[in-house]
Amino acid sequence: MHPAFERLQATTRRNFLGTSSVGLGGLALSSLLGDARAEGPSPDKPLAPRKPHFAGTAKRVIYLHMSGAPPHLDLLDYKPALQKHDGKNCPDEYLKGKRFAFTSGVPKLLGTRQPFKQHGKSGIWMSDAIKPLHEVADDVTVIRSMKTDEFNHAPAELLLYTGFARQGRPSFGAWTCYGLGSESENLPGFVVLISNGVQPSGGQGCWGSGFLPSVFQGVQCRSKGEPVLYLSDPPGLDRDTRRLGLDAMKDLNELQEKELGHPETRTRISQYELAFRMQLSASEVMDISKEPQKVLDSYGAKPGAGSFANNCLLARRLVEQGVRYVQLFDWGWDFHGTGPNEDIRDGLTKKGTTTAQSVAALIKDLKNRDLLKDTLVIWGGEFGRTPFREGRTAGGQILGRDHYPDVFSLMLCGGGIKAGHTHGESDELGFKVAKDLVHVHDLQATLMHCLGFDHTKLTFRFQGRDYRLTDVHGKVVKEILA
Amino acid sequence: MRSHTGSLALFVLLALAPRFAGAQPLPTKIDFNRDVRPILSNNCFQCHGPDEKTRKAKLRLDTPDGAATAIVAGKPDQSELVTRLTATPDDESVMPPAKTGKKLTAREVEIMKQWVKEGATFSAHWSYVKPQRPEVPKAAFPSTNPIDAFVFARLEAEKLKPSPEADRYALARRVALDLTGLPPTPEEVERFVNDKGADAYETFVDKLLAKPAFGEHWARMWLDLARYADSAGYADDPQRTIWKYRDYVIESFNANKPFDRFTIEQLAGDLLPNATTEQLVATAFHRNTMTNSEGGTSDEEFRNVAVVDRVNTTFLVWRRTSIACAQCHTHQYDPLTQKEYFQAFAFFNNTADADRPDESPTLPFWTDALIAKKTELEKQIAELEGALKGKKPEEMKPERDKLALLKKDLAAVKPLTTVPVMKELTGAQRRKTRLQFRGNFLDLGDEVAEGTPAAFHAFPKDAPRNRLEFARWLVSAENPLTARVIANRFWEQVFGTGIVRTSEEFGIQGELPSHPELLDWLATEFVAQKWDVKKFLKTLVMSSTYRQSAKVTPELVERDPENRLLARGPRVRLTAEMVRDQALFAAGLLSPKMLGPSVRPHQPNLGVNAAFGGSIDWQTSAGEDRYRRGVYTQWRRSNPYPSMSTFDAPNRDTCVVRRARTNTPLQALVTMNDPVYVEASQALARRLIEKGGKTTAEKAAFAFRACLVRAPSEAEVSRLVKLYDDAKARFAKDAAKATQFATNPLGPLPKGVDAADAAAWTVVANVIMNLDEMLMKR
Repeated sequence: MHPAFERLQATTRRNFLGTSSVGLGGLALSSLLGDARAEGPSPDKPLAPRKPHFAGTAKRVIYLHMSGAPPHLDLLDYKPALQKHDGKNCPDEYLKGKRFAFTSGVPKLLGTRQPFKQHGKSGIWMSDAIKPLHEVADDVTVIRSMKTDEFNHAPAELLLYTGFARQGRPSFGAWTCYGLGSESENLPGFVVLISNGVQPSGGQGCWGSGFLPSVFQGVQCRSKGEPVLYLSDPPGLDRDTRRLGLDAMKDLNELQEKELGHPETRTRISQYELAFRMQLSASEVMDISKEPQKVLDSYGAKPGAGSFANNCLLARRLVEQGVRYVQLFDWGWDFHGTGPNEDIRDGLTKKGTTTAQSVAALIKDLKNRDLLKDTLVIWGGEFGRTPFREGRTAGGQILGRDHYPDVFSLMLCGGGIKAGHTHGESDELGFKVAKDLVHVHDLQATLMHCLGFDHTKLTFRFQGRDYRLTDVHGKVVKEILA
Repeated sequence: MRSHTGSLALFVLLALAPRFAGAQPLPTKIDFNRDVRPILSNNCFQCHGPDEKTRKAKLRLDTPDGAATAIVAGKPDQSELVTRLTATPDDESVMPPAKTGKKLTAREVEIMKQWVKEGATFSAHWSYVKPQRPEVPKAAFPSTNPIDAFVFARLEAEKLKPSPEADRYALARRVALDLTGLPPTPEEVERFVNDKGADAYETFVDKLLAKPAFGEHWARMWLDLARYADSAGYADDPQRTIWKYRDYVIESFNANKPFDRFTIEQLAGDLLPNATTEQLVATAFHRNTMTNSEGGTSDEEFRNVAVVDRVNTTFLVWRRTSIACAQCHTHQYDPLTQKEYFQAFAFFNNTADADRPDESPTLPFWTDALIAKKTELEKQIAELEGALKGKKPEEMKPERDKLALLKKDLAAVKPLTTVPVMKELTGAQRRKTRLQFRGNFLDLGDEVAEGTPAAFHAFPKDAPRNRLEFARWLVSAENPLTARVIANRFWEQVFGTGIVRTSEEFGIQGELPSHPELLDWLATEFVAQKWDVKKFLKTLVMSSTYRQSAKVTPELVERDPENRLLARGPRVRLTAEMVRDQALFAAGLLSPKMLGPSVRPHQPNLGVNAAFGGSIDWQTSAGEDRYRRGVYTQWRRSNPYPSMSTFDAPNRDTCVVRRARTNTPLQALVTMNDPVYVEASQALARRLIEKGGKTTAEKAAFAFRACLVRAPSEAEVSRLVKLYDDAKARFAKDAAKATQFATNPLGPLPKGVDAADAAAWTVVANVIMNLDEMLMKR
């Protein structure tokens, strides 16, 4: 047996992977045999950085999720024909055999009310609802041919993040940390930030570790209050007194280790030391008050707020500290038209402009710090929205769209993605992918590829089967790679 | 016996060794299940297995008939199988094909050759064959019961020795935690330690088994399997009232309900003749599936999802076979076809529930007082209605008003609680089950009737094909899997690792058992004991194997890091619930109150709402309800109780067969800083100040014993005393901090207690509660 694997076997399986049968051992072994990397997770450092299958173009990920699904036809996918046929009955061919969440009968086509123009040297189409993003048009790739299988929020989000529309599988962030570990010793490898006070529909499953060890699950941090649960010492206990306690704990644990001889005790000691350091570093990284006013203003961030702007700035601060994967969820993108905030006219302009400012600031900030080149930034929702008016609100004054899985748009940049590029097309009225279909599994395969993984080989055996993020699908979209 | 033990030893060596162990010698005689099947299953079955649709070249290698076309028994040189396996990588005919990324090692190729040479015989997968009562080997070391005979025979073959029995303090804590989830009280420990009788340990065990805490502890394991939660799941995750089911599980364990009855009640209690309320409540087992009330979702779609979950859960819990693959396609490793999947589905496809937000059908619970009130109102209404009969609408206005009022009152009389139950549809309401292509409920194939997979033992010919008979089939004496699976599960809870480690998978892709004969002995014993759960658990904890000291040498850690050979006692981390309960217990805060609606202990406010749902924050329960055992904590799927979740408690969206046992910095933050644990430290500090004795050393020892059961060593006491002194010196200088740390959140100190003293002891208590020993069984 390879000595390094023997060590892994002795340490990781028992302490770190609990009782899972093959676990990381499989991954570690393949890499031990495949390349010369000898570094692997140890019980002291379960998130120790590891090399991927091949040199990737991205080292870390910031995923900006617009919970509820943005109306792509009013933001990124310009359909003049739809404007021309606005108000007409939706042709039967697009409705036959289809199920929609809130629409039955024959709905009316709905052209966008947002002005569209081409931006940057690359001429990417964007609407005025996301004006601040016009400035970074030459940094991003827009995919206009995304497709998913689900038209309800929770299943669609789970499919997007775990490769499967039901609960129970590891999320993309968990797979990323499982594969790569984390560069940060004092912070979680996978951080989740939620704005506007509402969890995504897919719930914690969107950042869960599924059957992977729970060290790989996302840790929810907050820009308001205690940044990580139970991070602060209890009231009245200062750092020095805490240190006294930890020293005693270490001495007593060492006595016990000597007595029983269990290596787990050593692990326990190191986890407590890590927790002690994390208390400091997590508080520091989550405190944006020391950022220059100019930076705060560029994002639209305000210390103490629970806003998307704050979370974008935090995402940059976290990846700077070596956090591997930062996942943002911003609530309020379910544009049904059931209220003024969900109107694809003013409601969207308001939501779009505020958030686009923070996204644009993040992209520019990463670029200025030379981080964009190896940071994948993804912006998008869980599906698209219909080219017609939503059924329930069709009689009202507010214009809204229903859920739509067959085609939608997504934007990504950095980390080896082409700058200033548009990929794929929807058909004339925006009902189907007309060119270069990218299924969410293909997106996953592509992101994995950027991180240096063959998505078919980053697997984990559970219940007798080797599972992977892309289930049994997925092909890398080479055309969007720089 | 000798030679048998020898081959067993080899078997185990292989089972323990990783798949890819380097220069392992070939076994002297090839065993199909041990040597060949894993190679075929991992490398060949995907294209040459049970699934007709993915099968290439019409070749199947999972049956002797199928393989015959590629194998000439006894003649590797003439067997196409061997030719293909040994072809060079650049040869197009090489198997497995290069593009699959699969490749046999040199040793695996040799095994295949040898197997063909020896006649290429197949045998059924071990877990599909009915267990035979094995002969108990002669115990190589002093032992208590047959478990030891099997374990020690192995140890002897491995040239290892069992460890001596653990000291009584360690044993008392270990067995109390394993049977009741709580440490013993100091009085119970002293009685046991000072009991000079030969049956001292057995007496102690019997008392633990009789405690109500037993059921509360063992229910936890079952509730993971039953995916019990107090919310319905999915995006808005509304609350669900189903705690009567949780109580059913606790009471069933405490009543020592035979496991076969426990099974039948839960799967089909409603179909039992003259079903009792208890038997109806039991059927909530399968009403723990999620209900989707997100706007715009199809109830029929998610009803189907729930039925799929019922099928998968049933097979995982009782058969530990992941049948789930066969929902969408014929299984690629195990002999399960997609048609067979939907035959099993058909058993569960005719209950009245249908993904409705009101969870109907539900069973109401009425108190006597409520029933009396209801009856009285009904009587009055009937009288008035009688009086009004035949009268014109404009007549008797006052009576009519009164009637309306009475009816309103009657509608307001609500049951104490309700529980969702299974109710079988009858007549025209019954649904037809059809095969669903790729598991899509809208893409339907042929109609299928209820049935069980052909690979398993036969469904009784004349029995009606319904849920009740299906449940009986699961626990029938002919069933090779159930007793093994359940015995292994109990073993896993007590020893930390199952005899089959992949406790979620007994199918072909699962691992082989470390002690196959012991597993069969346990399975047959469990059936012979008439599925008596307490008796079975007692057999486990009475064994000398269980009673060994957990002390370990570096050599043994090296040799057997996971303690699969059992040359020492079990030492694994406590579950999330145990970590919480133990801290409250040591602090003297734990409430003994049993059963009833779920409670809301303190949790931090997150300021976040579930999607489309209400706030996930909650108002902490009042009084003793905030100090109840973890099993009573309200289980919200979208936001499971955060401190327990950090200790690997699942969210219970679906059936959880095995929890992870991780060791992370976030756990350290919980037990150091969570107000629940700070409060427990404060309470323990006050206890030791009041009752812990006079000197600092005595008080430190009191706290230590309250937490860890045993007395501390001198070195341990003096380290704690030093900590106390150092902390006291600091707090003495800062009265405000001392008061804060000693009282927030527990409340004002009792009269005459010095704040700096209490704060310093709180530090000490918090340290003890965070020791490795506290978080582990010992």
